[in-house]
Amino acid sequence: MNHKQDDDSFFIGWADTPAADRRFFLRAGLGLTFGAAAMAGGLAAFQTPPGPGMWNQGAVREWRGIVTGTPYAMLRTLDLGGGPRTALLSCLGKCGVAARIGSLAGKAVVITGSLIQRGRHSMIAVNEMGEWIREDDTPADPSLVFPKPEPLGRISLAGEILDSKCWFGAMRPSEGKVHKSCASLCIRGGIPPAFFARDRANKSALMIMMDGGRPYGYDLLPFLADPVQIDGALSRWGDLLILDAAIGNFERL
Amino acid sequence: MAHGYKAVTWTPFKKRFDAWMLAGVAVYLTGFSAASSLATTDGESFTPVQMLIRATGTLAFLMLTFILCIGPMARLTPRFKPLLYNRRHLGVTTFLIALVHAGLVTLWYHGFSDINPIVSLLVSNPRYDSISGFPFESLGLIALLILFLMAATSHDFWNANLGPGLWKAVHMSVYGAYVLLVAHVALGAIQFEKHPAYVVLLASGAAIVTALQLYSAFFASGPDAKTRPTDGWLEVGSAADIPDSRAIILEPEGAERIAVFRNGNKVHAVSNVCRHQGGPLGEGRIIDGCITCPWHGFQYRPEDGRSPEPFTERISTYETQIRDGIIYVNPRPLAPGTPVTPSLIEEAVR
Ligand code: FES
Repeated sequence: MNHKQDDDSFFIGWADTPAADRRFFLRAGLGLTFGAAAMAGGLAAFQTPPGPGMWNQGAVREWRGIVTGTPYAMLRTLDLGGGPRTALLSCLGKCGVAARIGSLAGKAVVITGSLIQRGRHSMIAVNEMGEWIREDDTPADPSLVFPKPEPLGRISLAGEILDSKCWFGAMRPSEGKVHKSCASLCIRGGIPPAFFARDRANKSALMIMMDGGRPYGYDLLPFLADPVQIDGALSRWGDLLILDAAIGNFERL
Repeated sequence: MAHGYKAVTWTPFKKRFDAWMLAGVAVYLTGFSAASSLATTDGESFTPVQMLIRATGTLAFLMLTFILCIGPMARLTPRFKPLLYNRRHLGVTTFLIALVHAGLVTLWYHGFSDINPIVSLLVSNPRYDSISGFPFESLGLIALLILFLMAATSHDFWNANLGPGLWKAVHMSVYGAYVLLVAHVALGAIQFEKHPAYVVLLASGAAIVTALQLYSAFFASGPDAKTRPTDGWLEVGSAADIPDSRAIILEPEGAERIAVFRNGNKVHAVSNVCRHQGGPLGEGRIIDGCITCPWHGFQYRPEDGRSPEPFTERISTYETQIRDGIIYVNPRPLAPGTPVTPSLIEEAVR
């Protein structure tokens, strides 16, 4: 026969807990609580740092500059140092606003929105609550006219395709497989896709992506957040790096 | 199966148990948040929602792992039995934490767009044909649905209405949920968070659960006797083998287990299965003249298998006899609640 003779502290839910069990559970409870704290600390400490990037949604202000809708909605504006800077434009959620630029493309405008910023990369989430874009009565600084693309040659790089809005600071972290579906929703909605590449010397670069000068179709989506090698034409558009690559030139790693 | 059900009432132990459990959950979530903030520099912190997604996700995994260890531990050492009887609250809490995790993920990663978040969850990653690229979200969703089913049917009402057999079958699906959860983590978070600590934790959690389950399946205390009938009656053993107020459990081939109790010099045989949730009556004891289930304390009179008034539960009874100091049981169950005259143990054996 077995333990049935010796566990004299028979436990019934509705009766008082026997003293021996009480001591045991007190110790077990304390042990598990400390264990939970240690486990929480350990697991949290080993996380990959989420990267910089800020979006203060409350700080809504006006931005003046020249706007375009192709291939993506962008505003060329003056930064604090007085130099031209290109900010991508998005709605408040996961969508682009290119289709809503219309006849204002190429004109001087005032845009109301909040800034999403990571290093020198910036995006303005326009304030859809009100009239977020209007023509500016004062002409824009001539330096704000969108410059001609300057070809930098063909490149082949390994990296990850991500959505510019989250990576610029709408989410932290904003990379990798767990973020894939979110990136997919953003890009499907018209947020510009970006290619984040790292070379052997661990130098990294972020390029805005397009396909033959136009946004991609939905066939880009399965490649998001996966390690890929891309073969494409690199060019500089003012302060933006642009990678033009057809999906046929993507290779999953 | 139309018998009523009694809700198990709140006991001091349950209250203390829940207080400890909720304190543990709070300690984990605050600990995780605090450590996440400390581990990152200013301007590079996690967004609060994403930090909570991680905290609740890891916690739900740890809790489910713990829950699945309770069963085998309780079979290996009776010390853990009280945890077993209160496992439900842990289970429901784990479901709620997993629900918060899933809710935040759906809102944050799949919301803020004009596509339905649930549709987005299932279709935004179409790589169902890949392993490393597999849409792990769908695995987590199925696991969550299983946990929901269990939490929703955890109340005694369902136990009474589905019957202990079906109820148990539903609740065995938790192992399926755990397998899905391990795959969800392995194909999801671990594909991004590659620190060995996470891999080790996931692998050791799965390994401990598997090892404990296997170990207890092979070595746990099963029935005390597996008996073949002799002239139709089962041999239980010497009357002296049963301590007073306790039972021996036998497993007739192909039939429900039987608990043979000794109450002073009387021997009674009843079904081993409690009508409440199928608890092992033979592991209980006789208190105030009633067989008392070790799980939640339901009681039955040994002489007729009926719960004392005003309760109405009934279990099957069996005929017994004693020949030459050896107890025998007729393995044919009598209708639940049938009175049976007990066999008497002679003075010499007592
Ligand atoms: S199973 Fe709950 S009292 Fe027996």
